[in-house]
Amino acid sequence: MCQKVYDIVAGVVSILKGLGVTGKNMFRKAVTIEYPFEKPAMTARFRGLVDLHPEQCIACSQCVKICPTAALQLEATTNPETRKKFPGVFTYNEELCCFCGLCQEVCPTAAIYLNQCYEVAYYRHDDLVKIDLLKADKYVHLAPPKVKELRP
Amino acid sequence: MDFQELTINMGPQHPSTHGVLFLQLKLDGEVIVDCQPHIGYLHRSIEKIAESRSLVQFMPFTDRLDYIASMNNNLGFCLAAEKLLGITASPRAQYLRVIVAELNRVASHLLAIGTFAQDLGAYATPLFYALRDREKIIQIFDKICGQRLTYNYLRIGGVAGDLPAGADQLIKDFMAYQRRILPEYHDLLTGNVIFCARSKNIGVLPKETAINYGVTGPNLRASGVAWDLRKDEPYLVYDKFDFNVVTGANGDSWDRYDVRMREIEESLKIIEQALGGLPEGDPVAKVNKVFRLNGEAYMRTENPRGELGFYIVGDGGPLPYRLKVRSPSFANLSVLSAMIKGMNISDAVCVLGSLDIVMGEIDR
Repeated sequence: MCQKVYDIVAGVVSILKGLGVTGKNMFRKAVTIEYPFEKPAMTARFRGLVDLHPEQCIACSQCVKICPTAALQLEATTNPETRKKFPGVFTYNEELCCFCGLCQEVCPTAAIYLNQCYEVAYYRHDDLVKIDLLKADKYVHLAPPKVKELRP
Repeated sequence: MDFQELTINMGPQHPSTHGVLFLQLKLDGEVIVDCQPHIGYLHRSIEKIAESRSLVQFMPFTDRLDYIASMNNNLGFCLAAEKLLGITASPRAQYLRVIVAELNRVASHLLAIGTFAQDLGAYATPLFYALRDREKIIQIFDKICGQRLTYNYLRIGGVAGDLPAGADQLIKDFMAYQRRILPEYHDLLTGNVIFCARSKNIGVLPKETAINYGVTGPNLRASGVAWDLRKDEPYLVYDKFDFNVVTGANGDSWDRYDVRMREIEESLKIIEQALGGLPEGDPVAKVNKVFRLNGEAYMRTENPRGELGFYIVGDGGPLPYRLKVRSPSFANLSVLSAMIKGMNISDAVCVLGSLDIVMGEIDR
């Protein structure tokens, strides 16, 4: 009998303790944000979509060789006057990309890099698998809207 | 009286099987007579992929094995590759590796505790508190390496980049926060009568059974075996730190929860010491991207789930001849059918939740 009463009291106390924790959390500041309306700012090292500075690229193919999933296709062309190599065709398959960032690590001229885009959905499959990295306006439709500084 | 066995298919699409696990349960009323786990729904042939990738290229794939603790997977593979190639990372890189590995252990244990409480019926509240705290670690990782889940931060011979400015302060803030918030978990779960009644003496895993099945990690330590590779076979700089190997007494579901809770505190202790003694230097290694692989190497490390081993065989070329992953979750899952025979079906979910398996590394 005594044990039973003790168990009931201990049980009630433990549940009140738990309710105290949840009650405390009710008055804490919310940690979530209203996502589609306010967006978190990405960190400096964030690895988003693969992007290119075409004028810096020397078509050395190192990024193509290191890519673990073969997401990059590069055809080098040589300028007949200056004898310099430049990318004739440079396409990127976002479907295969695993966002590992190895391409930007091996690039000797810092031409290829991963940008800050994180909303990477497309309406058409063809647009997704063959992104022309030499075009300047390839990610215009993904331009991030106003961001909220969430992360330090 | 005559009875008929009822076969129930639990999963592969079941919220409490922690991924795509398919359990075939044979029931006599509510009592489980037989349990047959079926795996393979998340098979991506990562070991076969490794045979067509160089070691540097394979690093992102190790993230996808145990996706809750990617840093520890990176670490295991890195150390195996370094053992094969005879490379040693710089002291600063080794300390950074310890810091990120222990942070990821805390994140992994938080998620394990949260999902375990949810499996027991404490719907959403503990899980969301755990996710809230794990989010802080993920934001630190986002700052350090630029991703939230598939980090790909470690490199053969070092790490991908030094700590960015302000990251060490973030880690210190997180440690202070986590130490302040841990008593809340104890108030919410550890002392709760319903939680204790649902998990104490449920799914007892005896010491001998655990060793026979090759169970490792917190599940083994909860059964009372003080086996921790960080202590018993120190790699990196773990022998320089002062921490305890946490063990449980009975090996029941509650002990497995309690061991994880106390391991979080030990991990915080290690992070604090590593941050305090962080040596100067360049953690980014200048090593080749392509190696000639000769011979073989096996390296095992202490993952949040147990003993993770990578076995690499080279035949002189740049690609591994064979790469084998010894995943802790596989051994931890195989003991399940021995544990839950004779139990009520509602307790099967409790035992499975307390084992904390990740299907990504079971199927590979």
